[in-house]
Amino acid sequence: MTTGWLLLMAGMGLAAGILSAFKSPRVWLVVTLCGAVAAFSAAVCMLASGVVWDWQPGFVIGGEALHLQLDGISAFFLVLLSVLGGAGTLYSSEYWSDKAHPDSAPSGRAWWNALLLNMGFVLLCANGLHFLIAWEIFTVCAYFLITRERQRPEARAAGWLYLAASHVAMIFLFAFFALLAARTGSWELGPMRERTELAPLFWLALVGFGIKAGIFPLHIWLPSAHANAPSHVSAIMSGMAIKMGIYGIVRFTGWLPTPDSAGWVVATLGVISAVLGVAFALGQHDLKRLLAYHSVENIGIILIGLGFAMIAASHGNAAWGQLALAGALLHVWNHGLFKALLFLGAGSVLHATGTREMSRLGGLWRAMPWTASLFALGATAIAGLPPLNGFVSEWLVYLGLFDAVSAHGHAAFAAILAAVALGITGALALACFVKVCGVVFLGLPRSRVAEHVHECGWRMRLPMLVLGAACVAIGLAPILFWPAIAAAATAWQPALANANALPTVPLVTLGAFHLALVALVILAAVFLWRRVQHNGVSRAGTWDCGYAAPTPRMQYTAGSFSGIITGWFDWILRPQRHAHLPRAMFPAHADFEEHTSETVLEKVVEPAGSFVMRISAAARRLQHGRVQSYILYLVLGLVALAILAVMGGSK
Amino acid sequence: MSGTMNLLIGLAMGLSLLALASSRLPSVIRAAAFQGMILGTLPLLLEEKFHWLVVAVAIGTITVKGFIIPNLLRRALRAANIDREVEPLIGFVPSLLLGAAAIIAAAALGSALPLLPEHAKTLLVPGSFATVVCGFILLMARTKAISQVCGYLILENGIYLFGLLLINSTPLLVEAGILLDLTVAVFVIGIIVDRIQREFDTLDTRKLTSLRE
Repeated sequence: MTTGWLLLMAGMGLAAGILSAFKSPRVWLVVTLCGAVAAFSAAVCMLASGVVWDWQPGFVIGGEALHLQLDGISAFFLVLLSVLGGAGTLYSSEYWSDKAHPDSAPSGRAWWNALLLNMGFVLLCANGLHFLIAWEIFTVCAYFLITRERQRPEARAAGWLYLAASHVAMIFLFAFFALLAARTGSWELGPMRERTELAPLFWLALVGFGIKAGIFPLHIWLPSAHANAPSHVSAIMSGMAIKMGIYGIVRFTGWLPTPDSAGWVVATLGVISAVLGVAFALGQHDLKRLLAYHSVENIGIILIGLGFAMIAASHGNAAWGQLALAGALLHVWNHGLFKALLFLGAGSVLHATGTREMSRLGGLWRAMPWTASLFALGATAIAGLPPLNGFVSEWLVYLGLFDAVSAHGHAAFAAILAAVALGITGALALACFVKVCGVVFLGLPRSRVAEHVHECGWRMRLPMLVLGAACVAIGLAPILFWPAIAAAATAWQPALANANALPTVPLVTLGAFHLALVALVILAAVFLWRRVQHNGVSRAGTWDCGYAAPTPRMQYTAGSFSGIITGWFDWILRPQRHAHLPRAMFPAHADFEEHTSETVLEKVVEPAGSFVMRISAAARRLQHGRVQSYILYLVLGLVALAILAVMGGSK
Repeated sequence: MSGTMNLLIGLAMGLSLLALASSRLPSVIRAAAFQGMILGTLPLLLEEKFHWLVVAVAIGTITVKGFIIPNLLRRALRAANIDREVEPLIGFVPSLLLGAAAIIAAAALGSALPLLPEHAKTLLVPGSFATVVCGFILLMARTKAISQVCGYLILENGIYLFGLLLINSTPLLVEAGILLDLTVAVFVIGIIVDRIQREFDTLDTRKLTSLRE
């Protein structure tokens, strides 16, 4: 029962954090970190021992008996939650300090702990009603965290959009859980794969959890919320909160039967999210908004793996499906780690410069070597380059897709398309992060804000180091993390446990290859370093095409760097360009401005919303306050009822 | 017996039309009061043998509908210092025509309904429908609060008429309760009329639209 005690400690630590958040930031920091460590230990205990922790104490909350359960899938997500929660806690103690934000910091700490606590509850709940309650509380906590800077109108707007989208999702989840409870006769959740009549409920769950996960057409709330939240909140939102949507989909595709087409739909949504997510990311000029769109992309990669795993599961558990599932699950961890790292890095940049506009930054690596190198590490990982963790999980998904192709099954053709789309996504993500690193950290400062910057302190640096180290560890020794993935995969599909078909060999080879690659890189670096020491370095100006007076503003901008690629996606990005081009021999004034629209929000959701508003405004004219007409409504209603009764009576 | 009753009910329908056609508020009140008194005597005709309870109901109805309520309304009228409905939403002649159409429709409906043989001979059902619809027309067509109260009274008379079908099975307490409700309602409306007058300097209920939310 060590798991239970550790979970109790974690819960008490977080609860004590809520109490101490207002009075004593130090106590808050210590107890919250202890809570995170305890939750981490509990999850690792479960994953290592494989013993499912199941607790039914007999308390009744809201008319339902409390039932907590920590199985492979819960523990897998709880590891990520505790790592990101701990990292974000330490980071926020410097980033959102009492000194800089006397009004919003104390309550922010309390909301933060409440968020972590309720996300943990969602992972543990095995009762539909309590799941919904914890889900709603965590959603609301995230709203208060996103709107920490509520004096800014765009933060308020982002918060409203998030709240509205979350509640649309909540309606679908209410419908899902209520119908599930109505058909099974109990709110208790658990494996019920044999009850095939429950399969259509999957679509409700997909929409409800999909909005939270930020699947492409449902992602409308995600960019603005991630961009306007404080960076540690963006990190937990992108790293963990949207993974709660993935958790929901994984959990209920594991417990409940799914329709036959579910896997295809999930994989298709995955491909769309991956490609369009990265395309939108390329069009962004705001550092955090760009990272937010990469979340859409990575959710897409996870869904491709999960979708093919579902296709395989509905057709006799082919081995390639298990590879794809392993890739998807590992990518949940990986994306959580490197995206949190990148958001924390972006937070350091924002903290130092006060702007998220990439076109005002530049040359930051000189002043911020730690942030720059850790951000570059995260960028390498998210672009899916070896030897880091992003490559490991994407490679597993690729392996699954390739095996599906060579198995010549019904999914072969789809797997080819998905693999191609995944390849395009990887290439575009690489281009995007070359753009980010190049524009933000290399070159010369483009504006005054980028000139006088400072490196962040150790409390912001340490979390980034921990996350970076985790990225490297998964990259170099993926086999160490295999048992965790296997535990989650068997919890998803118990048939996998005795099939024992989960392949382990490729990971050892991959780890060895990554180690060799790192050794080679180190060797090359040492060799170059010695050459440099030996020959000395001479500095010279960049070749400037003969132009006599170059300024830093003539550097490539984020928009010009990605201009060609975003041009391919003009049909969906719909960029708005305002240009006054230089004319005549001595041009006086010229400017150029480009802005990528939120296509889904502006072209679909807003017109639909204003249509509904017009209808409602027209219906509202019936409510005008004239008693005489209200009586007329009454008479008409009575007459209609009478006619109905007479017609019914005549039958 | 049923000949006298049909005569009285016909008179009541005529009074409804009078209320619809009249522009002077005191005559509308008078029409509603007379209608109430006429309908108050009906229970005596319906019962074959003399019963003191029925007499009590009839006397109570006549007192309340014929004297107490009209007096309350006249007092409100004096307080508000008006006596004409100046701009009705539906004019007097069109409302009269609507009322006539309502009586014809009620007669048609009454003959179409499957009634008990002892009720089929009387005008009870068509009369009650016609009176209810006339009350509704008055409620919808007039703007002054007092005319609407009269419409409400006529509407209630129609319901009372319909209730006479069940007089043998309706306890006295229910009848008394309905009367009490009606009196209290008119009492409250009288107070409201006074307040509307003081607040808006008119009794036009269209001015109340700003209170809708």
